[in-house]
Amino acid sequence: MTNDYVPQDKIPLPPPDAEVRTTACDYCIVGCGYRVFTWPVGKEGGPRADQNALGMDMPTRTFQGWISPNQHNVTLIDGKRHHVVVQPDPNATVVNRQGNHSIRGGTLALKVYNPDGPTRDRLQSPLLRVNGELTPVSWDTALDIMARVSRHVIDTYGEAAWAMKTFSYQYFENTYAISKLAFRSIVTPAYSPHDKPGPGADTAGLDDSGINPFSASYEDWSEADVIFLSGTDPFESKTIVFTEWMMKGNTDKKLIFALPRRTTGVAWAEQHGGILLQLIPGSDTVLQLAIARIILENGWEDSEFIGKWVANAWEIDAGMGRGTRNTPWQWRTTWGKLGSGIEEYREWLFEQPHAELDRAAEITGVPADLIVRAAEMLAKPVDGVRPKASFGLEKGNYWSNNYGNTASFAALALICGAGNRPGQVVSRLGGHQRGWIGAASYPIDKSPNRLPGRRRQEIDLDRWVESGNVRFAWVIGTTWINAMAASHELHDTFHRMTRRNEHQLTTTDVDQAAATLIARADSGGMVVAVQDIYLQSPIGDELADIVLPASTWGENDFARCNGERRLRLYSKFNDPPGDSRPDWWIIAQFARKMGFEGYDWQDSNQVFEEAARSSRGGVLDYFPLVRYAQSQGRRAHDVLRDMGTTGIQTPVRMVNGELVGTKRLHDSTLELGTPEGPTVHRKWLTHFHTHSGKAVLNKSPWEWFSDFYERITPTGDELWMTNGRINELWQSAYDDSRKPYITQRWPDNYVEIHPNDAEPRGIESGDEVIMESDDILVQTGGFTIVKGDEFLFSKMEENGLIRSGKGHSKAVAIVTDAVRPGLLFTNFIYSPGWPETESNSLIHRVPDPITNRYRFKLGKAKIRKTGESPYKDSFESMTFKSRNII
Amino acid sequence: DTLFQAEVAAYEGVKIGSIQDLALAQPQEFRYPWDDANCISYLIKLGVPAGGGVGPDKDIVAFNAICPHMGFPLLGQFKSEHQVMGPCPSHLSTYDLTRHGMVVAGHATEGLPQVMLETRGDDIYAVGVMGLIYGFSNNEAAPV
Repeated sequence: MTNDYVPQDKIPLPPPDAEVRTTACDYCIVGCGYRVFTWPVGKEGGPRADQNALGMDMPTRTFQGWISPNQHNVTLIDGKRHHVVVQPDPNATVVNRQGNHSIRGGTLALKVYNPDGPTRDRLQSPLLRVNGELTPVSWDTALDIMARVSRHVIDTYGEAAWAMKTFSYQYFENTYAISKLAFRSIVTPAYSPHDKPGPGADTAGLDDSGINPFSASYEDWSEADVIFLSGTDPFESKTIVFTEWMMKGNTDKKLIFALPRRTTGVAWAEQHGGILLQLIPGSDTVLQLAIARIILENGWEDSEFIGKWVANAWEIDAGMGRGTRNTPWQWRTTWGKLGSGIEEYREWLFEQPHAELDRAAEITGVPADLIVRAAEMLAKPVDGVRPKASFGLEKGNYWSNNYGNTASFAALALICGAGNRPGQVVSRLGGHQRGWIGAASYPIDKSPNRLPGRRRQEIDLDRWVESGNVRFAWVIGTTWINAMAASHELHDTFHRMTRRNEHQLTTTDVDQAAATLIARADSGGMVVAVQDIYLQSPIGDELADIVLPASTWGENDFARCNGERRLRLYSKFNDPPGDSRPDWWIIAQFARKMGFEGYDWQDSNQVFEEAARSSRGGVLDYFPLVRYAQSQGRRAHDVLRDMGTTGIQTPVRMVNGELVGTKRLHDSTLELGTPEGPTVHRKWLTHFHTHSGKAVLNKSPWEWFSDFYERITPTGDELWMTNGRINELWQSAYDDSRKPYITQRWPDNYVEIHPNDAEPRGIESGDEVIMESDDILVQTGGFTIVKGDEFLFSKMEENGLIRSGKGHSKAVAIVTDAVRPGLLFTNFIYSPGWPETESNSLIHRVPDPITNRYRFKLGKAKIRKTGESPYKDSFESMTFKSRNII
Repeated sequence: DTLFQAEVAAYEGVKIGSIQDLALAQPQEFRYPWDDANCISYLIKLGVPAGGGVGPDKDIVAFNAICPHMGFPLLGQFKSEHQVMGPCPSHLSTYDLTRHGMVVAGHATEGLPQVMLETRGDDIYAVGVMGLIYGFSNNEAAPV
């Protein structure tokens, strides 16, 4: 396969009778609206409006919409070659108005299966690793073997030896089926979503404060006077939220970035009166506490809001958090250590030495005058009027010191009066779209993890595997290994338990194959089944015993929500490749072989309608839409299809017999009547998500993190190594590595390094470098913690629960002062180069003890030049120009 | 430039300037291949060698000046110190003029179309366009 890029200077236009359907982008959380034209090869429209399906004369003009060559592909429909054009919807009135788009979604057409193009290596048949070679087998053979091994593992070793690692976002129909199997039929605690060690909240500090992390609407970012953006540049990874909503609307808006890099969005913000708090990774808690302290010292807090909307100590105690059950949320909020009224919070904050301005400036690396300036911009009244402040965060914040950062972030926001009003919101900006509907709850009772006081915690699945407790693992649509921390070490564990086990398949015969894999499990090894659209490294091509081909976006009708809870139908428009099937179908066939009931779905709409019951009363509630459809004698997918790229924002409500969306949550301006029909009015529609309906200020003890932080702080020749996304690449590059236009721009992994760090090491832009460390920490064993302080890192180290491992990652250097001195910045996951381009191998596998979340953003490495890349002096591939020219 | 054996339409060569009259970092505007608002282009002497560059220093290039993201004009957006076009005032796409108009950062699903140049003595001729111009379905088809 060649991915050489050849720019085209013509495209076939869809003829007037081309099929047109609506969909939304498959990639980032923003979920832009797209339309898809398909028509048979051999036919073309003309350049006049009456000759093409666009109804436009060529050339089209600014903002009218256009089809670029990378928005066109050829695919199979009913087995015959068809043109396909995937175009940002120029008629969109929400999200990506006028057809605005990112480079990722803009090139969606290139991801479409084309038997003659770079996507031709899609998985097309179930495979079994026989004599070391992946060999095509029938669905029955693959699933029979899986069912027999599963039955044996569950009966012999218990449900917790049967593990699943799956995407959490790839459409309601699939996640509902997955969770029905894992949590209702098998009831295993050995489950973990794609990006974390176990289930649960990503931003626990927000949730504990009563703030839903997706409460805002995109319009709120447009209306704010000032936005505090922590740990993300939405220009890069939430592009349309930045270019369509933050850059537009209130023209006096100022952006405050708390980020270690001066990115494109930061440069734009600085040009428009905003500031960059260029902090040392991991120091967000201190920065946020310092800003909060300045605000309280000066009396700039929003006292009116706090009086009305922030719980006092009595209201926190009376509410018992959210009830008496022992879930992580509940024990945290009833622990008596964290929640506090404003007076207690102020007192606690003023006692924290690291929140004092000069000390905070030292720890964070942010100049004191900028910390003060941020406090003024967020909260200081101008002519007696408070600025409307909003707060957005992402992984740079919550993937470094999860609980401390998110709790102090929420507290700062609440002090500034944000959280429940137009233009004054607190939300995640998001990564993946919201595509999870749980058919049943995670069985936390069975989780092996326990904190002091036998407080429940979800499983740390990677540690559970490394401890030898998993005998069968089913991986769906995620690069388990690459996507987790200390990934080279994790790979060693997997390789030992699979490929180095003596029990390997020598036949496709079901009886013999099942017997061999059962022998593997009985010998302490692990059987791995992988379900995906491509054969990924290493989980698919090296570690899997069984590979199942999944179909995906465009190949089935699917639904899910975006970052403002906007539900849309993602229409089917082409054939799934070969024998590939949607994930829900595969789950259902397996479940039936296991003898489970309730898996008789005939099409994805049936799953969608059934899943609506589980959405009821939740943030993604679309149950009224299903009931409405049924009352009309229609399929729910078809009612959603009629809503096109606009869709409807969940929770869906019924008002005067019509379906109505919900713009924002906790909306103090929303007026609700009597709930109508299937509508559920939850308290958090108009109040915060706590017992009292008031938000909670939570303390964020620095000492729960500082011992770990000190241990991992680079010394000597080491540099911090953090990671993230870049505008042009989505996720692990599983699609992008098959988009020649994108691989021309990014043919390899990269790392940004400051000139001060590059020069003494003799590193120039375009040089090949290697980052390496033999001091990558890994937490082992210790699932039940008994004594009060044994969850702290220093105690775990004392108790022998921390070992040290190795990692390395290669990249092409980009020397730039956009990154702060002492810090390397590289791709979060660049899978095409596994194992050599694996930055997560340099991330410590020690999760936040309170929330069980990895500190993905806090790696460290030594870096050295190994040669020159072919791109250093090439005009054809990669560019080293600064990304933040404004 | 082995990667850039692009499909380049065969056009009549059109004289758009001369080496002698072209000052460093002073873009000269022209329209090519059609007299159409979307065909506004710049002839630029970058001062550093560039892919497709002509002249004694291989530093003379020409690019269409309509942002291939959403068709916003990039007039006045040449940054001579960086040899880039942009960022586009509308959504901040930036293009590397030393590397065939490749996106540096931004959203366009095509690089900035490069006008292919030839020199005949001191004269500079436009002889083709690499990449589809915004709004067109075919560079060779006259605007409707």
